[in-house]
Amino acid sequence: MNIQRNCLAGFMLLAAVLPFLVSDQYILHVAIIVMFYAVLATSLNLVVGYVGEFSLGHTAFLGTGAYAAALLSTQAGWPMWATVPAAGLCAAVMGTFIGAITLRLHGPFFVIITLSFSEVLRLIANNWVAVTKGPMGIAGVPQPALLSGMSNLAGKHFYYGIAWGLLAVALYLAYRFVNSNAGRAAVAIRENRYVAQSIGIRPLHYSMMALVLGAFLSGMAGGFYAHYISFVGPEMFRFAFMVTMITMVLIGGKGTLIGPLVGALLVTFLEEYLREAQELRLSLFGLIVIAIVLFLPNGIMGFVTSRREKYEKKNGTTPASMPVSGTKRRSA
Amino acid sequence: MTNSVVQEQPPGGALQVSGLCKSFGGIHAVKDISFSVKQGEIVGLIGPNGAGKTTCFNLITGFYVPTAGTVHFDQQDVTGEKPYGMARRGIVRSFQKTNILKSLSVFENVLTGHYIEARQPVWKTFFPTAQVRRTEANVRDSAARIIHTIGLSRHMNTPASQLSCGELRLLEVALALAAKPRILMLDEPAAGLNSHEARLFGEVLRKLVGDLVESILIVEHNMGLIMSVSDRVVVMHFGEKLAEGTPAEVQKDTKVVEAYLGGSAKEKS
Repeated sequence: MNIQRNCLAGFMLLAAVLPFLVSDQYILHVAIIVMFYAVLATSLNLVVGYVGEFSLGHTAFLGTGAYAAALLSTQAGWPMWATVPAAGLCAAVMGTFIGAITLRLHGPFFVIITLSFSEVLRLIANNWVAVTKGPMGIAGVPQPALLSGMSNLAGKHFYYGIAWGLLAVALYLAYRFVNSNAGRAAVAIRENRYVAQSIGIRPLHYSMMALVLGAFLSGMAGGFYAHYISFVGPEMFRFAFMVTMITMVLIGGKGTLIGPLVGALLVTFLEEYLREAQELRLSLFGLIVIAIVLFLPNGIMGFVTSRREKYEKKNGTTPASMPVSGTKRRSA
Repeated sequence: MTNSVVQEQPPGGALQVSGLCKSFGGIHAVKDISFSVKQGEIVGLIGPNGAGKTTCFNLITGFYVPTAGTVHFDQQDVTGEKPYGMARRGIVRSFQKTNILKSLSVFENVLTGHYIEARQPVWKTFFPTAQVRRTEANVRDSAARIIHTIGLSRHMNTPASQLSCGELRLLEVALALAAKPRILMLDEPAAGLNSHEARLFGEVLRKLVGDLVESILIVEHNMGLIMSVSDRVVVMHFGEKLAEGTPAEVQKDTKVVEAYLGGSAKEKS
């Protein structure tokens, strides 16, 4: 009865098989980017979908992670297996700091102040030339030594494996969070702060937990990206990344675990497909987001879930006959 | 006054409110209210609209900080404790304006209500042990039991947004019960119930005391329900305590009758 978990496992299994079937570097690259964005969208979804606060500052964590990994490997000579988790930790610390300030606000105030935090970080990255090399960015982030003797294709496979691992970690942590008492507490805060408090939940505690977890995941994604692209610049903090993440979460369906995956797949493929028509691309995305918000406010997965419920009702699977233990139907 | 007498010997295992005041600017919403809720008791808090009953609730549960006065629970001073702190101490309330988790099902609502019982250290959230799984199974069973007790079994998996008004009130009580309170505070739980449903609800409340909760403090306008269910009734009027006693005593009190029906012409002039 756990459709959600089976879908996630099935998706990860498919993703695990893919590199054995595909040896086209371009397709592998797109697949890597899909998984990179899936981690980001999942992490953003923890805040937007479960705590219900709309963060526009998620790039702050992505950028922090990317810069942390780039600096640690170029300056301190750390290997990649150390820089990526370290990037996650740096972002988590940043998340604790930013969250402690911003999560006391709600609604539009939260949106604005998170946005300003990421803008401030972008300005710092742009101007603190001594450390970040300013607008030049940090080029030549070292590749793992073991890749030097390998072909380009093997390199792609290597990065594919790491991206897959990151996504697996992200989905595992998100799944555990969502399907735990902590996740229920976060949803309670999203639905009704008064009720949450009256049953003993301290709102700040769980919104912080979701934010820091999200920051950790996107920090690791940033660290991965720094090595993969081997360049980090202030663009990491740009709003464009944020727009992509939000589009993915909204299209896929916020507040579901599968939604961000679906969103990452769709948006990345669309972006690649529309690569020729750069100008058209953003306009098209804008229209899609408007349509989604108007007609499918819970995204594609929300739509699918509600259809399934209707179908079940019609076929006599009355809710009362469902077993109580293990019911996680509406995948809160 | 009763105030000083009660303060001298606070009874154990009970809620004790003494000299509670709250003013919003120049408006004294609650003035010097004192009463207690003893173990095993159902106490009704009544009064005309605007008497300060809900403010009183908010003061006790920490949603407001009192201007003066104290709240003692289990002989500990809990004045000004945060709402979630009060819940953890064992005082859980429902709300006058229905407050539930709208997009979740009835079962999920009540399950979420088990938050305190199912609380885990952070690492166990991500790496659940056998003990965590056991707790989860327990709270699921307990949630089903509570829904059954309150009489919503038919709607176990119905989204809360599809419930009728009366059912929502019941769900709210179930949600509060799920937090395993020692004292349950209900703010107009029978609003929207018809007289038959209200009578059934009264029976449910009677069963709860001593079984799932120690005591109940209830604000309600349905006099039939209040008078049949309460051991003691506290009457408030314009923020002040007007009377206190058994339902029969209160019903005979001339001041109470006046507050509800208006004074005679002679007194008004």
